[in-house]
Amino acid sequence: MDYDLGLFTVLVADDNAYMRSLLKSLMHVVGVGTVIAVADGSEAIETLKKVGQDPLKGGINTIDIILANWQMSPVDGLRLLRWVRCHKESPDIFLPFVMVTGFADMAHVGEARDHGVSEMLGKPYSIQSLTQRLGELIERPRQYVLTPAYFGPDRRRRKSESQLADRRQVKPEEVEVIYDDEIT
Amino acid sequence: MTKSLELDPKGKIKVRYFRRRNRLKDKAGAGQSREPGKFAVVVLEESEAELAKFAEDYPDWVQGQVRELYDLVEKSWYKEENRRSTEFKRINEIAHDMRGQGGTFGYPLVTTVAGSLYTFTGSRSSVRDSHVEIVKSHIDTINVVIKKRGEGDGGILGRELLTALKKAIKKFS
Repeated sequence: MDYDLGLFTVLVADDNAYMRSLLKSLMHVVGVGTVIAVADGSEAIETLKKVGQDPLKGGINTIDIILANWQMSPVDGLRLLRWVRCHKESPDIFLPFVMVTGFADMAHVGEARDHGVSEMLGKPYSIQSLTQRLGELIERPRQYVLTPAYFGPDRRRRKSESQLADRRQVKPEEVEVIYDDEIT
Repeated sequence: MTKSLELDPKGKIKVRYFRRRNRLKDKAGAGQSREPGKFAVVVLEESEAELAKFAEDYPDWVQGQVRELYDLVEKSWYKEENRRSTEFKRINEIAHDMRGQGGTFGYPLVTTVAGSLYTFTGSRSSVRDSHVEIVKSHIDTINVVIKKRGEGDGGILGRELLTALKKAIKKFS
């Protein structure tokens, strides 16, 4: 079935006006109902705070996805991601977060992953790569993991249980599973 | 919410998994169906057309960044070797930006040359005149690619430009 993203609200953060405008237009074309475009991470945080404090006053009920460029000034994509995942004022620490970046090396990918990124969209990007990332968020959201050193989407994915078994360092009794209605 | 996010260091729980309902799929109209949803073909076609529109205007828009690069090179000339780091940091940022844009708008040659410029300007404590020359050669190459609308690999022109750039790098290195 074809997606209908009319009820979606996407927050786009990019300090490059042309790329920001492109992403905003593309989000509208793929059917996203509301697109909020801001020029950097600090503006994104202000927008998210408004949603968290008073959605009606802020004019935005909820944000469903963040698409943020990594390299932005003064607050870059990584700091924005950290804020979303960890800050007490974050309206939704589980918010799907797509990092748009020209940093394609393993060190950068690992850094974003360890900060709790949901998907990476490497630049240059195409319509196919953009819609694939959105599709991943919609079809295959990962469970979130909290450990003493990490909070974010499960960093292990697309691996079978047998592959993972050897690497697990905790015993079954040290793991707790929380479902929606149990989150306090 | 905060309670669920606290792990008692002395407690027996070391890892907590949060398994939540797939809200995005609900919202996208696909419910909890096991069948994967998809973007309609017409939506993908319209998206490609939108991207093509932006690609048409890209050569004009990017001139602003090219001008800024030339200005930064000009400023570098008037400074001593150990005082050019501000200009080179900005050149590095713009190069990173252009590296991402070029291929998105059908100019992979811009991505290649901007990528080379990004690497070259990455970490230099001292910037000699020869380094500024190499930066200028990169910008000249990008400028020609854009002005000649060298889409794709740029064909013969693209190969000639890359050869000329390599020669310039060798000459000033």
